[in-house]
Amino acid sequence: MKKTSPAYILGFMIIICTVFGTAISSVHYATLNMLIKNEKLHKNRSICRVFNLSVTGASADAFQKAIDDNISHEQVTYEGRTWEVYKQKETGNIGFVFSGTGFWDRISGIIILSADLSKIVNIQFLDQKETPGLGARIEEGWFIDQFKGISIAWDQPADKRIIVGPAPIPSAKNRVDAITGATQTSLALMKFLNSELEAFRAVIKERGEKKMSEVPSPSLE
Amino acid sequence: MAYTPKQVFLNGIWQDNPIYRQVLGICSTLAVTNLLANTLFMCFGLIFTTALSNLTISLLRDYTPKRIRMIIQVLIIACYVMMVDIFIKALAPDIHRFIGPYVGLIITNCIIMGRAEAFASQNKPLLSLFDGIASGVGYSLVLIFIASIREPLGFGSILGITLPARDLWWHSWIIMVMPPGAFFMLGMFTWFARRWLTKEVKR
Repeated sequence: MKKTSPAYILGFMIIICTVFGTAISSVHYATLNMLIKNEKLHKNRSICRVFNLSVTGASADAFQKAIDDNISHEQVTYEGRTWEVYKQKETGNIGFVFSGTGFWDRISGIIILSADLSKIVNIQFLDQKETPGLGARIEEGWFIDQFKGISIAWDQPADKRIIVGPAPIPSAKNRVDAITGATQTSLALMKFLNSELEAFRAVIKERGEKKMSEVPSPSLE
Repeated sequence: MAYTPKQVFLNGIWQDNPIYRQVLGICSTLAVTNLLANTLFMCFGLIFTTALSNLTISLLRDYTPKRIRMIIQVLIIACYVMMVDIFIKALAPDIHRFIGPYVGLIITNCIIMGRAEAFASQNKPLLSLFDGIASGVGYSLVLIFIASIREPLGFGSILGITLPARDLWWHSWIIMVMPPGAFFMLGMFTWFARRWLTKEVKR
């Protein structure tokens, strides 16, 4: 058969696609358990870190035990979305898994709020695909640490309750610095964090665990 | 012209270096060289992909119809890149979280396609394998050199380790973190390499 004939070309393409498709599938299948295990370990490690839990050891079981002992977890479905909600037994701090669109791709993480929803206690990112060295620096300690203890300005417009970057009042208690060279990632983060906080407040309100009249409105300085 | 493995290896690393002589793979050179750790994993991924895709394309060269050879090359390259991505994700998940976006971009690296088309599709498998390794190593050496300068100047660290008492004597150059910093570095390195390191071929 001639190499230029349509039948040869079609047959060759089918064989190549089958062989290489099978190879990729085999590699993926062979590492599937490792990938699932890594993902679970990463999530549990992030939960322990964001709730500041003490963990004895570095194994997956050690992280799981710390979570089981200190955190209650439930899935709440509200308006078609399932929320992963975590509550610290000792302090009553409440957290949820957030996600939103960054500059390149989706960013997800866990945010912990004080029991009265007035402050952010801590934040950790689970997954992001921002530019390494620029937007990806949202995972660095100095950036995350800024969120610890900042107020949520519930009395401000829905897109200004948390400010990432410049603000009319630089010393505002609801503001953190943006990342130099990653303005778009910082703005995207501010946008979807505010949106997620608003949506989560509605979830809490719906569940009747919090009445909004109880939620303080921190004043800005 | 018949090549020896030694010639192929030296050409890939030195005389025909993909970065400063062939000016291939510039996109990733600009993108990943602001951190040395990212650069090292990118280099590993590229050497793996260039070597194996060259070998495979060379093995199939007598059976591949000319009209669809580039489709086949892209398919093979994409397959190896996906394998690299899966391996790094499974074995070094923390590193993958940092460089994951760039691993996928290895597919678009001009060096791989360039060597596949220019060398592997016309030469024997073992020579093609050497050529792939040599091109990958040549690319890696330049990237590592540039990253070793950009990271200290831009972040004040090397391999993520902060330089001693950095705040006392150094103010980071933000431009070195961003792509324009890589343009300056790459331009200077190319000028230096072509002026002093390699011989110009007289035609």
